[in-house]
Amino acid sequence: MNSWLQVGTDESITLTIGSSDMGQGSASGLAQVLCEDLMVDYARIQIVQGGPTLAAVAPIGTAINTVGSSVTRNNFWKLRDAGAIAREMLVTAAMNQKADLVRANFTVSNGVVHHTPSNTNLTYGQLASAAALLKPPASAPLVADSEFKSIGKPQDRKDIPLKVDGSAKYGIDIQLKGMLYAVVKHCPTFSGTLANAPAVPSGMVAAVPLSVAAGTGRGTEVAGAINAVAVVGHNTWDTWQASKDLSVTWNIPAGAANLDNAHFLATAQALAASAPAYVAGGTNPAGTCYTVEGNATSAAAAIAGSAKILDATYVLPYVSHACMEVLNCTVDYVPGVRCDVYAPTQSAKAALALVVQLTGLLESQITIHTTFLGGGLGRKAEQDFISQAVQVGMVVKQPVKLMWPREEDFTRDQYRPMGLMHARAGLNAAGQVTGWAYRNVSPSILGQRGVPLGATGDSQGIEGAHALPYNLGAAVTEWVSHPSPIPVGFWRSVGASLNTFAVECMIDELALAAGQDPYMFRRSLLTDPRWIAVLDKAATLGNWHAPLAAGHGRGIAIGTAFNTIVAQVVEVSNVTSTRMRVNNVTVVMDCYLAVNPSFVEHQLIGGVVHGLNATLYGRQTFLKGVAQNRNFSHSRMIRMGEMPQVKVALIPNPALSDRTVKLGGAGELGVPTFAPALANACYSATKVRTRTLPFFPNATMSD
Amino acid sequence: MSTTLTLNVNGQNHTITVNDPSMPLLWAIRDLIGLTGTKYGCGIEICGACTVLVDGQPEKSCDMDVSSAAGRAIVTIEGLSANRTHPAQVAWIKHQVPQCGYCQSGVLMSVAGAMQAGHTGSSIASEVQNLCVCCTYQRMREAIAGL
Ligand code: FES
Ligand code: FES
Repeated sequence: MNSWLQVGTDESITLTIGSSDMGQGSASGLAQVLCEDLMVDYARIQIVQGGPTLAAVAPIGTAINTVGSSVTRNNFWKLRDAGAIAREMLVTAAMNQKADLVRANFTVSNGVVHHTPSNTNLTYGQLASAAALLKPPASAPLVADSEFKSIGKPQDRKDIPLKVDGSAKYGIDIQLKGMLYAVVKHCPTFSGTLANAPAVPSGMVAAVPLSVAAGTGRGTEVAGAINAVAVVGHNTWDTWQASKDLSVTWNIPAGAANLDNAHFLATAQALAASAPAYVAGGTNPAGTCYTVEGNATSAAAAIAGSAKILDATYVLPYVSHACMEVLNCTVDYVPGVRCDVYAPTQSAKAALALVVQLTGLLESQITIHTTFLGGGLGRKAEQDFISQAVQVGMVVKQPVKLMWPREEDFTRDQYRPMGLMHARAGLNAAGQVTGWAYRNVSPSILGQRGVPLGATGDSQGIEGAHALPYNLGAAVTEWVSHPSPIPVGFWRSVGASLNTFAVECMIDELALAAGQDPYMFRRSLLTDPRWIAVLDKAATLGNWHAPLAAGHGRGIAIGTAFNTIVAQVVEVSNVTSTRMRVNNVTVVMDCYLAVNPSFVEHQLIGGVVHGLNATLYGRQTFLKGVAQNRNFSHSRMIRMGEMPQVKVALIPNPALSDRTVKLGGAGELGVPTFAPALANACYSATKVRTRTLPFFPNATMSD
Repeated sequence: MSTTLTLNVNGQNHTITVNDPSMPLLWAIRDLIGLTGTKYGCGIEICGACTVLVDGQPEKSCDMDVSSAAGRAIVTIEGLSANRTHPAQVAWIKHQVPQCGYCQSGVLMSVAGAMQAGHTGSSIASEVQNLCVCCTYQRMREAIAGL
């Protein structure tokens, strides 16, 4: 029917997708949308990931990175239309064959076109060749909501059987004939570069210096710098040992001495107090203050005249991604002929452009094979590891799989940015908010990618801090670019994971200062009925008003990201300086329409715990440019026994499909509201306010 | 100095040659035998992604020398059952447990080991210490409850 939807004469139906499924179920979700209007059973749709080549007409989803919880919401209407159009082409082929041009005489059920007058059937497979010759209509009628068989219904994910028997192939599982193994060793210090090319260790095939390809370096890692070496050998283990033993001399620039946490924090504190304002057309170096919305002078004046003034500073650390599958990429390069790249990538399209840039081959000579991803979390949208594998492939000219040991994965991440958020607000005697001044100081993800920042700063950095739904009186939101050059990147929910923490903790502090219940206080500041409905539902389902046992605390938070509103209620107990018990979490989400409520629920629960791990334990620290946490031993995460019971509700339910309502994302939404709900719950349990995360920075983990 | 040894994996003998007899079983299974269902996660015995059964016991293969595994009965996820019929696999599909799925081979081998040792239901859960970065623990718990 076109290059990404194929109806075969053998009755097969194949959907080729270009986006990546990291376990969020979006590939199956896309099939679920398509089958509705194509009128075939979900079970019949085969999903193929990545195109054979991206140079052909792009498969659906390739135009985007798999980031921003976007796969389903960006493709929903596209797929519905495509399914309907394809169906009508097949029906037209049947009409031609039956020489009956009355559309009403034909019905479709699971890929079989029934001709009522003759009581005969034609299958999609029988009609496929004739339909392929027809011109697609511009549009075709969609299935009515009341007739939905697939959309909004839980369906089994197509990838799950492969994930219970070891047959799912992740990037790290690729094995090609005659393949070599490469293990990466970076300069341990950010900004350091190779002093001399090392000799090839005995028994090894090569030691390849790796440079930062244009467009892939962030912060300290500038294009052209040689910041790593890959040792190449015949199996992972021997190569890894040789790489550990390899003695390499690095040049460390003097500035690396300042790349440490204490320095970053002091800089952030200074910039929170004062930072030069953005000047249109000016150079606006790092350290510039951007006004995102509102006016600082009027906010300050409103706050100054208040009955009560609250002032609080929240500090969040750098956090690693720690995908379960370490970074890796396999390359099969034949000079001047072709390059095949097998990668767990969230951005096959960017990978293609990179391979063109590095090899000089034509797009048509390059194939990007997107494998399963053992977690992506934003990290696998980056291209550094792919660039390194291509560089090695071009040297060894035979298939080679490059991998990062876990220690490299932790110490050479592009981290969630650290952030220092300062909030100041006033209350009048009636307990209403008179003014709100909010300033976020954090390194710029987009700035490190060369995206020019406009008057309102980094659009990613301010997610969750602006367009707040609350009535906050005279308000201002500012964002200051922190100059730290430690590489930063997209981490599940991005800026919302910082700002929602600060905003929702501050709202809680205001509620308590006003002597009000934190839930009712939020409710009194809200006017948007969708927000109120989500908040109310969370309070009801989370038993907000139920009495608390001694030592227990309950916290609430609400926020938005990617067009979706989420509220959580968290209950904790046994809070000490080294541990706490998270007993229950209630999550209510309005993403408008959930294609598969079961996937969405699973994603939300995963997001909650991802948020939990980060809130309790997650941080990366730096000393003289060297990342200190090198493995899970110092980046604790919970295990099954510590898992709280998580309840999820999706509203509205059911949602009508309506082209005018923007669909919301789901994959990242469990994260942002968890941290503030937890911090608020801890305050309720202990009456001690935690404003710096993580709660337990020195927690460790062993076997 | 290379050593030749025989590994019994999923009931089949494989003769392999290693330069380093302390190569962890994990890498022998993956790179030399070519069974990639067993995963590398941390390499330091924390995450459990590399869990296999050795003589019926769950073992972290990232920390077991290949030489000490020789001659013992090793079962990997590929050998857990034919056609995903092990009760844990059936429950995992029924409860749609995996997200990215990367940790799940190791989790299922831990569950299978606990079942083999006579644990049932929630007492299996306390034996399973595997890390799941996607945090699929709630569905794991639901799936385990029926075993
Ligand atoms: S890889 Fe063996 S425990 Fe993590
Ligand atoms: S399912 Fe992804 S790590 Fe467990």
